[in-house]
Amino acid sequence: MPILEVKNLSYVYSPGTPFKHEALKDVSFAIEKGEIIGIIGHTGSGKSTLLQLLNGLLKPTEGNIFLNGKDIWDEPKKINEIRFKIGLVFQYPEYQLFEETVESDIAFGPKNMGLSNAEITNRISNSVNIVKLNEELLKKSPFDLSGGEKRRAAIAGIMAMQPELIVFDEPTAGLDPIGRETVLNAILDYRNNNNATVIIVSHSMEDMALICNKIIVLNDGELLMHDTVKNVFKNADVLKNIGLSVPHITNVLLKLNDMGIDIPTDIFDVSQASSAILNIVSGGNRK
Amino acid sequence: MISDITFGQYFPCNSVLHKMDPRVKFIIMLASIVFLFLVKSSFALGLVALFVIISIIASKIPLKLYVKNLKAILPIIILTAIINSLYINDGRLLFSWWIFNITVGGISRALFMAVRIALLIFISATLTYTTTPNDLTDGIESLCTPLKFLGLGSLIHILTMMMTIALRFIPTLVEETQKIINAQKARGADIENGGIVSRVKALVPILIPLIILSVRRAYDLAEAMECRCYNGGIGKQRMKKFKIRYFDILALILTTIFGTGVVLLNIFMR
Repeated sequence: MPILEVKNLSYVYSPGTPFKHEALKDVSFAIEKGEIIGIIGHTGSGKSTLLQLLNGLLKPTEGNIFLNGKDIWDEPKKINEIRFKIGLVFQYPEYQLFEETVESDIAFGPKNMGLSNAEITNRISNSVNIVKLNEELLKKSPFDLSGGEKRRAAIAGIMAMQPELIVFDEPTAGLDPIGRETVLNAILDYRNNNNATVIIVSHSMEDMALICNKIIVLNDGELLMHDTVKNVFKNADVLKNIGLSVPHITNVLLKLNDMGIDIPTDIFDVSQASSAILNIVSGGNRK
Repeated sequence: MISDITFGQYFPCNSVLHKMDPRVKFIIMLASIVFLFLVKSSFALGLVALFVIISIIASKIPLKLYVKNLKAILPIIILTAIINSLYINDGRLLFSWWIFNITVGGISRALFMAVRIALLIFISATLTYTTTPNDLTDGIESLCTPLKFLGLGSLIHILTMMMTIALRFIPTLVEETQKIINAQKARGADIENGGIVSRVKALVPILIPLIILSVRRAYDLAEAMECRCYNGGIGKQRMKKFKIRYFDILALILTTIFGTGVVLLNIFMR
């Protein structure tokens, strides 16, 4: 059974007014346990709406979301419990950090779950470890942290709730290369430690190629593709047509191919690409 | 919900009211509020209501938006109506229980007050829906020109600039608040249920990020304004000059007629 199943999901903003806007149209997909799914789409393609629907912040206009085979809106009063199982990390940490210390801020989610103090302390040190946040920072005010540290503190706040499905909105946007790597590693570590499933929304095709198993492509609120990374990035033309792209290095290979060099174009990371290019250079088989 | 607060929001539309001079609109708004408080009889109130209805139709803005505005203030209207109906004891007794007496006079007074508050909301909403915050405050600044001769010029400018910024950032803050609410809800914050104490407590995780974001935004805005050489309005010139056109004059005449009507009805139809 898939951990998450989305069936004929539609969402309309301000129905029945002149502002009516159909953000999602009849979207269906299923995600297996342990997968890392990337969601891509241009601005306004319905990604944020989908995230908010998954987390129960919005209620579907039509269609259902099943977590482990159970509709998340079966018991609307217990939607909070769903939010503990499907964690959502927003892009801007500034919208959620509020406590006096980083520690108590991370504890906010677990406290709302009603966990014991010992368990909360345990979870804090656990999640702080995963996101590689220095223990000394725990006693500091979250507002004294740097941008990257704030981001990781916010991520730790969700991870401390130990959701079985964790959803990230643009987790690496605006971070420096080291910050980006730390966050991506934290996502992988969390998934491996907790046997969790991950959904990532991002505009960085590189990040997607690096850590995702499968990619969902949204276009104008409709599901365009749901396939393996390889199969999605194969359609470079389709992606470019809807305002998306493929990883930079794949673009390089495509260009080389256009120039008449017979080189595989289904490579998405730099080290593999460089070995492919070296291979061509030493072999020298021009078309 | 928080996003229901539409007060102070401009709603773009192509209507005469949108094209009118903001100064004229502001004067008309002030005048109609004065009429509203001069009103003594339900006939006069009806006349003001007619005036408001005409403006609402002329604004071409969906009635739904006005009603939405009313919804936000409904508790105040209901409270006023209840207090009025309990305190005014003239006319036929309809209902009596313990120390409460509901009379015909009380009920009609309650309705009168409710309509008056509703009209007040509609009048101010018409102005803010049809006028961009910039136009509105520029208009107010222009109306205050006589004060410049008293040496209050820069003070007026500072006050109107503050108003412009405040009005401009209402929708931004509403949007920001919604984002913060979502972020805290995602961590299991329960802001809709529970008793009054837990509800007030639940506001802390929302208010603190909101205040911090606003302060930061204020600094950013100040810096951006300084980068464009803003120095408090000294020597500032306008690109857009206000012009009084025929429909402005018509609107003023119409307002005068209605105003005279209210005064006459007050005198003759008591």
